[in-house]
Amino acid sequence: MRKDADILRIALIGNPNTGKSSLFNALTGLKQRVGNYSGVTVEKKTGEWNLGDGNAIELIDLPGTYSLSAKSIDERIAVDVLCGHAEGQPAPDLVVVVVDVENLQRNLFLASQAAELNVPMVIALNCWDVAERKGLKIDCKLLEQRLGVPVVPTVANRRRGVDELRTAVLGALKTRPVMIRPSWPDAVKESLGLLRSAFIEKNGENLKDGELTRLLFDQKSAVISRLKTPKPDAEAIVKSAREHLRKGGYNPDAAESLLRFRFLNPLLLDIIERQAILKQRSRSEGIDQLLLHRFWGLCVFVGMMYVVFQSVYTWAGPFMDLIEGVTGWFQGLAAGALESTPTLQSLVVDGIIGGVGAFVVFLPQILILFLFIALLEETGYMARAAFLMDKLFQWCGLNGKSFVPLLSSYACAIPGIMATRTISDPKTRMITILIAPLMSCSARLPVYLLLIGAFVEPLYGPAVAGATLFAMHFVGALVAAPLAYLLNQTLNKGRPAQPFIMELPHYRVPRIGSIFWRIYESGKDFVVRAGTVIFAMTIIIWALLYFPRPADVPFEVARENGVEITESSTSKEAVMQQFSREIDAAYLEQSYMGRFGQLAQPIFDPAGYDWKITVGVLASFPAREVIISTLGITYALGGEVDEESKDLRDTFKSATWESGPREGEPVYNLAVALSIMVFFALCMQCGATVAVIARELNWSWALASFFGLTGIAWVAAVAVYQITIRII
Amino acid sequence: MQLSKIKRDGQFRVTKMNSDNESVARLMSLGLLPGQEVRLTHQAPLGDPIAVTFEGCHMSLRLSDAAEVEVEAL
Repeated sequence: MRKDADILRIALIGNPNTGKSSLFNALTGLKQRVGNYSGVTVEKKTGEWNLGDGNAIELIDLPGTYSLSAKSIDERIAVDVLCGHAEGQPAPDLVVVVVDVENLQRNLFLASQAAELNVPMVIALNCWDVAERKGLKIDCKLLEQRLGVPVVPTVANRRRGVDELRTAVLGALKTRPVMIRPSWPDAVKESLGLLRSAFIEKNGENLKDGELTRLLFDQKSAVISRLKTPKPDAEAIVKSAREHLRKGGYNPDAAESLLRFRFLNPLLLDIIERQAILKQRSRSEGIDQLLLHRFWGLCVFVGMMYVVFQSVYTWAGPFMDLIEGVTGWFQGLAAGALESTPTLQSLVVDGIIGGVGAFVVFLPQILILFLFIALLEETGYMARAAFLMDKLFQWCGLNGKSFVPLLSSYACAIPGIMATRTISDPKTRMITILIAPLMSCSARLPVYLLLIGAFVEPLYGPAVAGATLFAMHFVGALVAAPLAYLLNQTLNKGRPAQPFIMELPHYRVPRIGSIFWRIYESGKDFVVRAGTVIFAMTIIIWALLYFPRPADVPFEVARENGVEITESSTSKEAVMQQFSREIDAAYLEQSYMGRFGQLAQPIFDPAGYDWKITVGVLASFPAREVIISTLGITYALGGEVDEESKDLRDTFKSATWESGPREGEPVYNLAVALSIMVFFALCMQCGATVAVIARELNWSWALASFFGLTGIAWVAAVAVYQITIRII
Repeated sequence: MQLSKIKRDGQFRVTKMNSDNESVARLMSLGLLPGQEVRLTHQAPLGDPIAVTFEGCHMSLRLSDAAEVEVEAL
């Protein structure tokens, strides 16, 4: 089985919030994210641990779990890895169980479950310093004797105890100590025997004793899905074994906890000595008296969330302007250098430099948001925020952890969707990702401002204009709530609410190093995984808007304007300069995107859009605000117009249908303006968001959400247009 | 009495738990077992969820799950 017999493999397991990730970093030196909030470690992480005697060891960082009951994906992965059923890899040679000294009993529950899987074990008693400060004394020697495996005190985030752990592991690799296991009562033994004879002896399943224990004790054990035995048969076997256990006087759902703690508690007698009153503990509780207070806690929460939101919405602004300025400067530089080759010039200026700018511009928001998220998680406040907000989200199947990602999405969905990594439940996380693009991000604001300024304000005055702008920010949320409810009903089939048991960890002073590491990691991840996709999208859209560029367009435009020129005319350059905007408009109309827009116009006709708006909608796929410059080009005003542009507003008011049943009628009216705004409030016209969803979930979900949300947007836009046009 | 109905500032002991409930089964594996003492520390602003401590554990749970745990006052 084993490909490389020389490489030893060691797995690291432990409860969430035990500093397991810190220990992983301390041992491998390969730094990883450090969690202070349940469920950050979702991926399998591996690193190389140099044991110092020439042995390079592969260290596997398993997801933080409270138990191996294999209900969640995290636990299932842990069981599979420990049993040698993951990715064709054999079982690890040793497991290091990271145990929080302060919660010895609860943490040893997991160790005791792992012992059942028959893997040699070393226990790392982490947070030794905190325990010492709190006057907690643990008799390591005695514990070691009673458990039968080496016990090493460590302080992972200060790298203390690493050498001792190394020595213990080297010794344990030779002696292969296995932690003491409970001797089960007869009813359990008989039930396990039933499973053994049915699965192993009769069906030839490759199952360890520990896995039989999991099958017996866990309701809906995920181990079943790995078996060769057909699922209904396997379920029937497990059911009869559990029935046998029940007849023997043990409730199968409760038996393991009862029996295991009954076994562990005597082992811990005289081990823990509390010297003083637990001061630190009361400090954490003291902070909670304020932060979880039903009134003041909410005030602090609102204040903190205001700061988080402002930081992403406003403080990132100058940095984004700077990036846009630098992008523009490079574009100017390249435009000058490549003047003789217009196609290459456009590719470099609009495609390549524009494409890089298109994703780099998100970095300030991502980095700033992740600074706050790292702070909230490292301090332990994130769990409190979820606690305060949970009720708001319960009815639609989400939980309190969805709050921060959704709030951030009001500034920008990109960092918001990345922030869903803090949600440990995969389904909750998926639903949050899928509704996050509906939150009214800042890129929609220019579209709202332009259209409200042109059509609402002149008709109804600034008060109604302001109210409209305010209301537009809630259109998305109004659709998001029922959508979340529906997704929960369909994705969760019959499971009304997710189990939402969340630890409120002790408050901790965040470590600057790990905060910076997380900020760096989120930025790098975005640039590498999503940035490249956004870049490619920008190039493709550029090509669709640029080509085929027929050579006779400038001459036709000149002719239409009453000037006759030919290829050899001396006045050619001057004329082209004079009509450059009209020529750009004609090029856009002739481009693949322009042609496609004219072809697709009937789809948007019920929403009141002419082909120019349709092209604008399609061309704004890389980013919503692009519709403004695209409309600027189609109306021969140049691409430099913005939402304040008076020219663009005036052009809107005078634009008329060029052909068809409505020929001569104005294109834009209040109904069309509202229809466009509602479309942009709901649609997924944001390539970067699609790329990030693909990164966080997969491409199927990214495409599904693109077509789903854009479909919803179309329906809403048509409805708004058809209703408004009948009222006004 | 159900754990979802208790008031703050009191010490309670667990008497019965419905382990069919996934969240309750989870609480049991965290050490909240019949006989264990438990205390209500906080209630969220909208009344749900609640935060309880037992054996050095500070956990948040929803009222619907807490209703599956029976306690008695000490």
